[in-house]
Formats: sequence, C-alpha cells, structure tokens
Amino acid sequence: MPSHSVFPRGTPSVRADGVLRRKLGGRLQPLVPVVVLLALCIMITAANPRFLTWLNLVRIAASAAVPLVLSLGLTVVVLLGSIDLSIEGTMAIGSIVLSLLVANDVTSFRLGWLALPITLAATALVGAGNGLVHVWFRIPSFMVTLGTWFIGLGIAAVVLGGGTVRILDPQIRGLALARFLGLPWLIWVAVGALILAWVIQNYTRLGRHMYAVGGDENLAALSGIRIRRVKVAAFALAGAFYGLASVLEVAQLGQANAVSGEGRLFATVTAVVVGGTSLTGGVGGPLNSLVGVLIVVVLANGMILIGVSPYLQATIQGMMIIVAMAIGMDRRRTGIVK
Amino acid sequence: MSVSTARAAAPGLFLAVLVVGICLRVPEFASARSFLAVLSDAAPLAILAAGLTFVILIGAIDLSVQSVASLASVIAALLVPRFGPAGFLAAIGAGVAAGLFSGLTYVTLRVPSFIATLASSGVVTGVALYISNAATVTIDERARVYFDWINGSALGVPGYIIVTAVILAACAIVQNYTRFGRYSLAIGSGEAAARAAGIKVGRQKVYALVVSGLLAALVGVILAGRQLSGSPTLANELLLPSIAAVLVGGTAITGGVGGVGRTLIGALIVSVLRIGMTFLGINIFAQQIVFGAFLILAVGLTIDPGKLPFVK
Amino acid sequence: MTRARLQAVGVSKTFGATHALQDVSVDIGANEVVGLIGENGAGKSTLMRILAGVQQPTSGELRSDGQRLQLGSPLDAARSGIGIVFQEQSLLLNISVAENIVLGHERAFMRNGFIDWRRLHAEARAQLAKVGLTIDPSTRTADLSFSARQMVELAKALALEDRVAQDLVILLDEPTSVLESADIEVLFERIRALKRRASFVFVSHRLDEVLAISDRVYVMRDGRVVASMGAADTTVPELHRLMVGRELHAEYYHESSQQPPSSEVVLEADGLSAAGHYADVSFSLRRGEVLGIAGVIGSGREELLRTLFGFLPQTSGALRINGERVRLQSPAAAVERGIGYLPRERRLEGLVMYMSVAANLTLANLGSILWHGLISRKRETVLADHWIRALSVRAAGTDALCLSLSGGNQQKVVLAKWLVAGSRILILDHPTRGLDVGAKADVYRLVRDLGRDGVAVILAADTLEELIGMSHTIIVMRDGGVTARVDAPAGAKPAQIELIGHMV
Repeated sequence: MPSHSVFPRGTPSVRADGVLRRKLGGRLQPLVPVVVLLALCIMITAANPRFLTWLNLVRIAASAAVPLVLSLGLTVVVLLGSIDLSIEGTMAIGSIVLSLLVANDVTSFRLGWLALPITLAATALVGAGNGLVHVWFRIPSFMVTLGTWFIGLGIAAVVLGGGTVRILDPQIRGLALARFLGLPWLIWVAVGALILAWVIQNYTRLGRHMYAVGGDENLAALSGIRIRRVKVAAFALAGAFYGLASVLEVAQLGQANAVSGEGRLFATVTAVVVGGTSLTGGVGGPLNSLVGVLIVVVLANGMILIGVSPYLQATIQGMMIIVAMAIGMDRRRTGIVK
Repeated sequence: MSVSTARAAAPGLFLAVLVVGICLRVPEFASARSFLAVLSDAAPLAILAAGLTFVILIGAIDLSVQSVASLASVIAALLVPRFGPAGFLAAIGAGVAAGLFSGLTYVTLRVPSFIATLASSGVVTGVALYISNAATVTIDERARVYFDWINGSALGVPGYIIVTAVILAACAIVQNYTRFGRYSLAIGSGEAAARAAGIKVGRQKVYALVVSGLLAALVGVILAGRQLSGSPTLANELLLPSIAAVLVGGTAITGGVGGVGRTLIGALIVSVLRIGMTFLGINIFAQQIVFGAFLILAVGLTIDPGKLPFVK
Repeated sequence: MTRARLQAVGVSKTFGATHALQDVSVDIGANEVVGLIGENGAGKSTLMRILAGVQQPTSGELRSDGQRLQLGSPLDAARSGIGIVFQEQSLLLNISVAENIVLGHERAFMRNGFIDWRRLHAEARAQLAKVGLTIDPSTRTADLSFSARQMVELAKALALEDRVAQDLVILLDEPTSVLESADIEVLFERIRALKRRASFVFVSHRLDEVLAISDRVYVMRDGRVVASMGAADTTVPELHRLMVGRELHAEYYHESSQQPPSSEVVLEADGLSAAGHYADVSFSLRRGEVLGIAGVIGSGREELLRTLFGFLPQTSGALRINGERVRLQSPAAAVERGIGYLPRERRLEGLVMYMSVAANLTLANLGSILWHGLISRKRETVLADHWIRALSVRAAGTDALCLSLSGGNQQKVVLAKWLVAGSRILILDHPTRGLDVGAKADVYRLVRDLGRDGVAVILAADTLEELIGMSHTIIVMRDGGVTARVDAPAGAKPAQIELIGHMV
C-alpha cells in the first residue's frame, strides 16, 4: 500500500485554523510561568513579609541550586520529547563516586578536585547508557530510565552495603559552606551551569538539533540530522548535569548514601513541566527550567512561612504538574496518547 | 505464530528452570516453608501487578500504584479501629478515587499516562503523609480481629493467599469474558481501529486506571493487615517489582498482548528470584540492580517496534 | 525543450499487487516548468516521491544531466540539486524560519564551535529575498501564516542553489491548493523569475493554473503517462478528456443487479458545514441506495465522510438520521445510530490486526454474544463461522489473526463486522484500495447484495469509473462545496468527462 502522506501531520487546513489561536495564545503562553512566579512571591510576602528578607532569599537560592542543575539536565532530554526517570539513580552513582574518591571515612583516596571530572564522567556515562539502550533497542525512554533508576540505586547500595559515607574533604564541603560575594559557592556553580546550558542550547549545533528532533523527528531526519547521535548526546549531557547536582548535594549534606537523592525526580519533573518546557518536545529551555525551579522552591519556602504542613508539598507539586499540563495543553493534538 | 507461541510459553519455562536451578544449588529451597515464603511474597505483588496489567494492556502505564497502596494502608490503619469494616471501604474508595483522578487527567488533558500517574502519585503521597503525620500508624490490639480475613487461615492456607487467588480469578474473568476486557485488548493493539468500531476509548482507559487504583488499595489493606500498621511509604518498594512482574510475565509494554495469567507467572518469577537470591546469599541491595536490568531486558524482548513509529 | 536536466526513464513502482507507476518516462528540461496532471491515484504523487528520493523505483532509472542517478533518500536528492515543496509542509514549526532554511547545514555558519547567528540570519534573509519575503528570520515558524510558510519552504528548497553545482530542480506538490489567489499570483511570479536558475515540476488539480505556469504538461492516468504536450497547444477540456480513461464493461460493476432505491430517506444532510473543510453540503440518502461522492484531494470529500462517522462533528447545518436530527460527536455515537465505516486506512482503522477474525467481527456488537453479562466464546465462534461462510472469507479459522488475511479478506471482515453490528448505513471510503481484480469484484458484488437488502451506502471510490459504475446518485465536490449532482441509474450512466469538469 502506498502510504497516504509522506509526513504524518494534520491536514493543512486544520493547521491553518490554528494560526489565530497560536498568535493570541502563543505570545502570552511563555510568560505564564513568570506571572505565576511573581504572583506567588507577592502572595507569600503579603502573608508573611519575612519572605522578602535577604536571609530568606539566600536560603531560597541555596535550596534552588541542586533542583536547578537537575532540571537543566532533564530539560535537555525533555526537549527531545523523551523523559529521564533515572535522576535519583544517576545521582546515587554520582554521590558515591565523588564521596569515595575525595577524603572520606571509608576509603583512603584523597583525589580532591580531581574527583569532580571523574564524577561527571561517570554520570555522563550512565546517561549515555540510557541513550544507547533507548536508541538501539528502540525501548521507550521512560522504561529504560525507570530501569536505570533502580540499577543506579542498587549499585550505590551494594557499594556502600547500605551504609553512609562521610565527606572529610574541606574543599568539597566548602561549596556549601564557603561564600563568594556573600553567597554560598553552590549558588555560583548553579548559575554557571545555567549559563553553560543556555549557551549549549542556543549556540551549538547539538543544542539546536535537539529542538529540531523534538519538533519532528521525521522532518529533522529528512534534513540530514543524525537523530540517534543527538539523542545519545542529550542523555549523556543530562547525566553530566545530574552528576554536578550530586556533587552539590554531597557538599550540602556532608555525606552520601544510596537514597540521598530520594524525592528529587518528582520535584525536578514538576519544575521542568511547570516552567513551560513541553513534554512533547521542542519547546522550552534552560530559562523555563529556572522559572520552574523557582516556582517549586518558592512555593515550598512559602508553605513553611505560611505554616502549611510540609507533608502536603508532594500533593501540591502533583497538582502543579497537572495544572501546568492543562494550561500548556495543545488541543489541536489529536494523535494517540499512551 | 511460532514466535508468539514461544513468547507466551517462555515465562513459564523460565520460572520452572529458575526453581529447579535454585533447588539444585540450595536444596533447602525445596521446602514447604520457602514455598509459602514465595507465595506470601508474591501475593501482594501479583494483585498490584494484575491492576497494572489492565493499564499496560491498553498501552498506558500507572506509576502511582505504590503510593495508592501506601495511602490505603494508612487509611485502613486509621479508620478500621474506629469504624470497623467501613474503614476498609474508605481505603478502597480512596484507591478508586485516585484511579479516577489519574484516568481523567490522562484522558481529558491528553497527557502521557506516565506523567499523569506520576503527578497523581505525588498528590496521593502528600495526602498519605499529611493524614499519617509522616509516621507509621499502628493498628490497635483490639482492632486486629477485623483483619482476620487476611491473617487467619483456612485448611492451613493463609487468608491473604486465598483472597489473592479470588482476586486474580476475578481479574482473569473480567479480562477474558467482559466487554471491558475485550475493549482493553482492542485499544491496546489498535486504538484507531477500536475507536472506529465505536468503542468509547477514553472511558475504557479511565476504567483501566480505576481498576488499577482499586487493586492497589486492596494491596494496601492486605499489607496493613499483615504488618498490623499502615505507613505512607509502606509500598514504595513495590512499584518496580510489580512492573517487572507484568513485563517479565510477557505482557507487552506497547499494549494489546498479555493478561493476568501471565502476570501471575511474572509475579512468581520475581518472588522466586527475591527469595532465591536470599537463599543463594546474594546481597539484598543487589536485587534492585537485577530487577532494573530485568525490566529493560523484558521490555526489549516483548516490545513490538513495528507498533511504535516514534520511540520517545 | 532544451537539454534534459532531470529524467525518469521507464520507471515503474509496485506496492504489492498494485502498479502505482508503469513504465513512466518524463523529461524535465533546464529552465523549464513542467506540469503534471491526472486524477487521484493516477500516479503523480508516487512519481514526485521517486523524483524526491522519498521512494525508490521498482524498475527503471533516473538521470541527472544524462548521468544515471540513484536517490536513496531526500538527502541524496538535495545533494543532486533536487528540492521539494511538499503539499504537507515539511517545516519544523517550533524553530525559527532561519533555522528551518539552514537545517542540517549549520556548519557553514559556525565560528569557534558556536553558531554565528548574525551570519546565519543574513543567509536566511538572502534566501527569503529570493521568494520576496521580508520577514524577520528569527520569527518562530509557527507564527507565520500558511502561505508565508509555503514561501519559506520554497526558499529552503532554493537555498540548495548555493550548495550544489548544478541548476536546481524544484518539485512543487500542490503548492496552490491552500493558497489564496493573491498568494498564488506571488508564487507564480517567483517561479517565473527563478526559471533562469532552476527547473520546476508543478503538480496541481487546478488545470487552468497548470496551463498558466507550465511550459509543457504531462498527463497521467492509471500509473502511466498518457500524453505530453506544450502548454500552449492544449486546452482545459482536452486535458479533461485525457485524464479520464476508457469506459469499462458495465457488468464489471454488476450494473444489471443495480436496483432503484426505495423512497425512504435514511440519512439527510442539510447545509452541512465543517469550518475550514467544507460548507453547505446537502444531500439525501435512501434505503438501498449507493450515493457516490466525487472530488479530488482537498475538495472536502474526506472530511465530509469523517463527519458522517463522527470523527469531525459539523460546525453548522443539520444532519438527520431516520428523520432525527443528530450531531455525531464520536464514532461511538455513529455506531449507535446504525452507521458503519469501511476506512481507507484498513490496517489502521478497519481492523485490530493483532486480534482474531472472531474478535474483530464482534467488536462493534459484543452484546450479541453475551451470556449472563459475560462473553460466550461458543456463541462468538458460531457467529464468526456463520459470517466467514456467508462472505466466503478465506481464513485459517475464526481464531486466525486478521494480520494473516489478504487485503480482500480483511475488507470482507470489516464489512461483516458492520453487518454483525446491524448497520443500515455504510460509509465505504475507498473500499477497493490496494485490492487485486478478483477481490475488487467480490467487494462490488457484496455492495450490490447489501443494496438489495436495503442497506444504504455512501461511497468514495478509487477511480471515477468505479464510482460511476457502483453509484445510483453522485454528488461532486470541489473546494469544499458541492458543484454537481448527477443521477447514475443502471443503463444510463454518466460519462466520466461529465463529472471531471466539475471536479477540477
């Protein structure tokens, strides 16, 4: 049978209809997360003015550092239209590699800063593994990364025998404890990661090709883009970001164990989705994730200030995912959703 | 046809080889006690996985079952001592509500099921943490009589195993002999054709997630009975094994192929592996690695790439 | 014609039993605009896809400047200077216009490993200037109007110019079907201006446009080239005559068993419209009648059929089924009203290929095999056996997967499914597509039998000949409206040429 169309898309007239809607909604939609963030800040300040104190703002920035770096990684994958559920597993690998290589109470390695590139390489490798299995065996990414999530946790638990490593390296600890221009170093590291992600996304071929792949894989392939290479590179890049996040986390906690990243996946997915990066791929970016992370972190901070039970955080984040999806929903999309 | 026959028979064969293999290495494994240990490990897993089977058959996934089970355990532990069996209804009702919530989010917002259920998993976990104050809720001595159907035994068979058998039988009937079961298969293997045959696809998808929520809540109740407590993190470790059970049993992640019978085999494989690994002296932490790898492998073996124009 | 820039020589293409192209030879001269016309299914699209490298010929070859040319992919075609402007646009909507134009070739605009946006935008502006567009190249493509996107697509194809040594060949597949007439004039102006540097192949259903822009015209029919002539030497009526073929023997369509329909109206459309697709369509369908709908792609015919089965509810106008006013919100609603649908995409929408014949037969009416609320396998098998014999479906058994059936037998199973469901109105969307002659004959006979039993049929056919042969009444659609209504009683069938004039 001759296939009916070369490109499986809606009929032209359907898309022609969408032009008006897109013009009205398209311009404003990207601003929704920013408006939400501002409204949130105003409401919380109204309820408790302590929100706007320098101390509290620094606290927010510090607690946003790890989620931001994680979200930058996840954004790369989500831009492709894929998903990465292995965040906690990859972080577990990153934290044990780092903690066992720097001065600690279990091994006798004292690699210091040299442990950093090794950690990032290890987690990038985990990410590349995700990408390779996903691409070569054509297994949906959420399934592959669900597997890696637990493999990562398992490896970390086996290596540590379920225990915890304490970090004795003062320089690593310094990331969280020492300050530069009044702010803890980890905030500067997170900002650096944001700039790096932004440059990659906007000024490199890989970054631009990620958008093309996320927009429409078939069309991107027709233009000669090597889809598989882009995907594997994206997963590896995401892995490296998770590795960096695990470094920051270890620095904050002063210790590492298999489950220290627990709960990170959920908060990260929330931040990315709430920031306006589309799960279908091709729309969004690092700045969206910044806004998304701030929304999540500010909300958590505000809940404490206002006196809402912190236990409800997950509930509110879950609702936020759904509301964000409802706002960003593309009603013209009529394909099968699985 | 031979390929699909082989695929259908493979999990059963694998289970047999696994049991024989472990027995040969560790003869003590071949005992009534370890047999019972496998069954009691497999029972909650099988129910959870049976619910997931309905969802996976239509080509979706439910990542909220563990949270729903935990919430149900908390509700049961809180309410049964106060209100008696009505507490069970509340727990199960919460599961149905959670399934309905996931299902409506998935269908009306047209978001991928993994994200819809991930979101509702968060919602549910938050509620469980809130009502339990993030602590284990112990069931009072006097209320334990209400849990006799779980903890008692008939003819030497523990109550919860009988309950599990009844639930699985009911699932098998629903899957093989009702409209819902047939429609699920049709949607999973060809959603467009199912829609064009006049099936209300959205409604069936919601049903599938409701069934999954209902069964997850039942698991929560059973676990609460066996441990005589409920906890907001009680079933957290069960998500991966239950997905693994469905897929290892031979139900395809792409939908349309498989069933509760296969899932029972899958659950037994997972439990034999878990108990067997302990017998073989394999590090308990290494089990997660094995399951993670198994999951990817099982998906790889059961997937039909022809059905996925884009793999994302 | 000057020297041949691109040639197809004896090209054939088969899909299973279907011959989409047979021994087609086409020359595209340098600096020439070649028009390609033909009915739906004549083979134009297949030829375009082969020239564009999307599909490969089964036999025969392509030549570029006299050299043999093998195109394994659209990328190969691009390297040989062949660019495509597809009817369904191939631009990525989520990225900027500039990025679309240079997609895959960003390397030329990099500095120290980073993209030099200033140079990239300058390049894009230069390409856009070729087609007379002065938009900001950083505009998101989704924000452009449809016709502007079409121009961007043309600019993207023209950007090839700087990357290949040869003159370009630009394939335009129905570029005007979605454009307003002012936009069409702009497009034609650009084509005329660009002719000095490129050749064009222009496919359109609008024959006056083809004659206006082309130097030469090829007419295709049934997968063959049946005529080629200078555009100045022919007329629209002559092209009409060439597009339609022989008149087939009446008995092929069992014309003698075509009985006049009853007067009882089962379905009625009154001013039916779906915004953006078709407007003000009225007709009535009687018991036992076959109502044919003629129309080319884009005429609104497909969408009308989708409305009648609940995929695309009407935005205005009335639809009455057995006198009752309805708005079909879903296929489920249509099925409840006794409508059945035989889709064009049989494998996608017709059958659940991975389920058994029996399960597919009962899918639209599981109620008929329930026993105390549960599915009775025994009743299902008996029912399936009955229908397999009644329609002489060749299957290994009721348990055979539909996947294992031939196209004709699959089609019978789809029909049987609706008979099991008790449908009294059937929508047949290209029911013989991809079938061999014998299987087609079976389908024609079945449709006649259905008519005798009082089932009403709405038919969209693969060819005009088939449509005329099978229908009692024909409505012709063009550009979203009904342009003619023709009776086709047995023994007094209209000629194809009568219809084609209303279609294109």
